[in-house]
Amino acid sequence: MTRLAALALALLAAPALAAPDLSADALLQDHLWREVRTAPADGRPKVGLVLSAGSLRGVAHVGVIKVLEQAGFPIDVVAGTSMGAVVGSFYAGGIGVDQMWKIASSLHIDSGNDLSSRHLISLVLFDRLLSSENTEKTIREKLHGLRFDQAPKPFACVAMDIYTGEAIIFRDGEIAPAVRASMNLPGIFQPLEYRHRFLVDGGVVDYIPIDAAHLLGAEWVLASVTENDFTTVRPKSVLDALEQVIDIRGSYLSREQRKQADFLIEPPVGDIGMFEQNRIPEALDKGVIAAAKRVAAAEESLIEASLPRLVEAWTAAGTRR
Amino acid sequence: MTGPLRRAALVLGALACAGAASAAWWPFGEPSDGKIRPAAALAAAGRWSDVVESLAPQFMQTLRGTDLRSAYVLRGEALERLGRPDEALGDYQVGIGLYPKSVLLLTRGANLLHREGLDEHAREFFARILALEPKNADAHLGLAEIERRLGFLDRSAAHYQAALQTLKTRADLWRDYAEVLLAQNQQWPADLALRKALELEPRDADAHVLLAFARRAQGDYNEALLQLDVAAGLGAGVGTLRAKALWLLEAGKLPEARAAAERVLRSSPADGAALWVRARARLAAGDLSGAEADLSAAEAAEDGGFSARAAKALRAALVELKARREAALYQK
Repeated sequence: MTRLAALALALLAAPALAAPDLSADALLQDHLWREVRTAPADGRPKVGLVLSAGSLRGVAHVGVIKVLEQAGFPIDVVAGTSMGAVVGSFYAGGIGVDQMWKIASSLHIDSGNDLSSRHLISLVLFDRLLSSENTEKTIREKLHGLRFDQAPKPFACVAMDIYTGEAIIFRDGEIAPAVRASMNLPGIFQPLEYRHRFLVDGGVVDYIPIDAAHLLGAEWVLASVTENDFTTVRPKSVLDALEQVIDIRGSYLSREQRKQADFLIEPPVGDIGMFEQNRIPEALDKGVIAAAKRVAAAEESLIEASLPRLVEAWTAAGTRR
Repeated sequence: MTGPLRRAALVLGALACAGAASAAWWPFGEPSDGKIRPAAALAAAGRWSDVVESLAPQFMQTLRGTDLRSAYVLRGEALERLGRPDEALGDYQVGIGLYPKSVLLLTRGANLLHREGLDEHAREFFARILALEPKNADAHLGLAEIERRLGFLDRSAAHYQAALQTLKTRADLWRDYAEVLLAQNQQWPADLALRKALELEPRDADAHVLLAFARRAQGDYNEALLQLDVAAGLGAGVGTLRAKALWLLEAGKLPEARAAAERVLRSSPADGAALWVRARARLAAGDLSGAEADLSAAEAAEDGGFSARAAKALRAALVELKARREAALYQK
């Protein structure tokens, strides 16, 4: 019986991987992707990475970034809103993907947010909004007080002025308070008074901040979007309902913003609720899986966008010769 | 019998019944009546239809212990061989339900799921195997492939490392491991893994091709092109010549690139990559209309694949560039 089992295992073992793909399509794409990656800064469009709002779902952005890094995607500028601002600030601030993965994996709802049970009871019973000061402290600690102009990659994030309804795009000063403002959930946290404005979460007005990336000079934008699938989620608490309303509003707004992106990656995390921190590993994994499925298409899109500039370089080289 | 003792006896009795029912636990080993031997002989002879026929459900009901477990393995395998994977999977699942610690059944089920592209489910099965046998090489190998397919290159590399602890002499595994390392931009470890693969199997053309990719990634075009030649000498096919044409272009050796492309075009006149290389060489020589002709030919490819789309985009960019230059001349 042992022999039979061994024979069966040998016959039906998992298939070995295919040989290297040397087809015309695979080789040409690989060649052109190398041309794009190694082109001088003005030899291809400036690439912007935009990370949407999305509360805990937004940790999926880390998975997306992991795949883009592995593919050697040339990211020139980064913009984010809310959780997208947190992840974006870490990435633009030079924190490695593995480190971001660790930070995300150890994230607790109350670990930078003052969302402990005691404070939540205070919110519900005494109508007292919470402070998001801990968020700022945590981000300042991780980024060592980095300012926008010191970030290795240009970065912008978006908050909303609760008195005027304006989207405020931050591009200068210290990063930590701006990111705090960007993820300052209205109805839970006190509006943040900063630079003579009262600021709340930017997801209400700029869910996918493509305009912020354009302001930073991005000419080709890849957006990672972690929207709530509000058609399947039934809010179970006041906070859930509040987040759902923000997400629904954000979703309507984002319809137009999606069209402005040159490429979209959408990890299927829509059913992950704001307080389901036990599903963070799942969100991280879904970011990787979604990006891995789409990365070849994203490369092709950027190659196509780069061709007009590459052809100029190729013909200019011919003229010089 | 006192109350607690009676309760304990009842619990023990219930456990014994459950054990017997699941056939998963026997104090002196699982029983076998040897009834499975004819079916095993049919399987050894490759008579898969007869295996399925001989293991009819009525007969399966008369089996127990090792025989029953083996019957699920044999039936599943026979159904797979006959191209009936859904039924095979059903048998494996029933078998796993009865024998949840059978590594053989779990492996068979996991491999089948993996082959059918149901990687998320296969991953669960492989993980269950590793919980039972942490060093199980087949499970590590299965997970290495699944994690790679899903995009988790670091996890894939870790599973390859674990599998290679046991399967040290599998040249193909060293090569697959190297491919994952290359995708992670770890050229030096990839190089070492490929050297190991070539030590075990010096005439492995695919390993030489990968070594060429590793060297190119390090910027060593001379060695990369040399490895492509070695692979071509081992029968790697026209793909190596195609790669050579493109890499010569990258290395700025335009006449050689064009010559390599034309060699490809002699056997495959519509080859999109070779047409691209010749178009680029013509472009660099100032022959815009020649370049456009090559791109038009590549664009016309019936499959409409990447090469065709890229040729179309480049041709459009060329037309635009020409128009811009003409407008500039007119303005002067």
